[in-house]
Amino acid sequence: MPLRTTFIGLSLSHPLLVASGPASHDVNQIALAEEQGAGAVVLKTACSDKYEHMRYWPRPRYKLLDWDKQIGGRSRLFTLYSYEQGYSGTLADYWAFIEACKETARIPIIASIFADAAEDWADLAVRAEDSGADAIELDISSPHRPGTLDFEHTFIAAIWAVRKAVKFPVVVKLAAGPDVLQQAMSAQECGADALTLCNRIRGFDVDIESQRPILHGNFAGVGGPWAKYYTFRHVAEAAQHVQIPISATGGVMTGEDVIKYILLGATTVQILSVILVNGWESISKINQEVEAYCKRKQIHSLQDLRGEALKHMTSPDNIIRWSGESKMGPRNRRKTPPGISS
Amino acid sequence: MTVRKRKYPGLDPLPPPFADRYPPIAVVEEDSCIACDRCPPVCFFDAIVMEDRPQHKYKRTAVILEENCTGCGLCFEACPVDAIKWIPDKAGLPGPSKSSDSVEDTDL
Repeated sequence: MPLRTTFIGLSLSHPLLVASGPASHDVNQIALAEEQGAGAVVLKTACSDKYEHMRYWPRPRYKLLDWDKQIGGRSRLFTLYSYEQGYSGTLADYWAFIEACKETARIPIIASIFADAAEDWADLAVRAEDSGADAIELDISSPHRPGTLDFEHTFIAAIWAVRKAVKFPVVVKLAAGPDVLQQAMSAQECGADALTLCNRIRGFDVDIESQRPILHGNFAGVGGPWAKYYTFRHVAEAAQHVQIPISATGGVMTGEDVIKYILLGATTVQILSVILVNGWESISKINQEVEAYCKRKQIHSLQDLRGEALKHMTSPDNIIRWSGESKMGPRNRRKTPPGISS
Repeated sequence: MTVRKRKYPGLDPLPPPFADRYPPIAVVEEDSCIACDRCPPVCFFDAIVMEDRPQHKYKRTAVILEENCTGCGLCFEACPVDAIKWIPDKAGLPGPSKSSDSVEDTDL
């Protein structure tokens, strides 16, 4: 019971959400997530008709870098390098998909959309609401072209338009930069009900044998366990400046990572890569780890944990510093060359 | 065929040579399969099943269902013996051509 969490007005059994992606493109997967104890699922992102080509996927789409498959998923240093695209069906298929999810699932279903023109964003959001989704996540930050458009011109208008068009909660998924904090405050000002921090970043890798970029020769989305460190920072920073709840995502492999995000102010935590490498059981395993921590620390509600670590953050000016010059000085002093008198 | 050292064990860093003509799908080389059961759970498209093979050394083998395989490449990373290979899906249809992609990207 201590894991029960209220997020954007939804009562969730656990703070762990399945992030938008390949683990949420199919109605059968929602049942798997629910069975394992996911608090909610963010569905795979549907693109407006203008981005129809995003519904067709390249092959292959995923490459695990620095991945030691011989040890069967116990590696914690890998990178998921991917060419993930949008939901593969038409918009009509997507609305039917939401309806099917709502019919079968007890957990909340959060739809996810991408478009460019504000009216397209609003139209998709209205359709998602009509289809029965419990909330919507605006995927304004996909690392895959053209998922990242100009924030100031495109996304401010989009968030604004969606907020005015629908009544259900609007979550905005931000990129890992630039200006996460500024964008977070802008999204709040435009009426967003929550933030998802952060999407994966756009990365690149080269095969030195063939001297070519790997996979399909363009930038790809990269994420992995290492991604948590910059997201910790963005969550901590945003949590101190915005009042709307934060759904943290990036690099979560264990219950420890979830606890860290909550200590830094997150309300829910989204996972995906860990499901991809370690299976659906990762959800229940992580939940158990969080539960065990709460028991050990005698925490009766995650609310008591939220943002606890932020209370101990300090500014660079207040960091205690010590004098070191008497030690460093002599080593760095220029030696007078022999034979030259000063 | 020259055997080169695998820089990335698992999925080859480049798509198979025929990928510009036919969509690649995965296939299990049944003789190499050790029936370890690792690949069915990694498939997000329910495209891998274990089947009985009484003649097989391990009595079972992984089998990829062509109609479900989206060629994502994940099972290559799960296979501990590199028993999964690419084959062309000759029935596969191409996606939209480059010229039909008239969307202007305002950022890259």
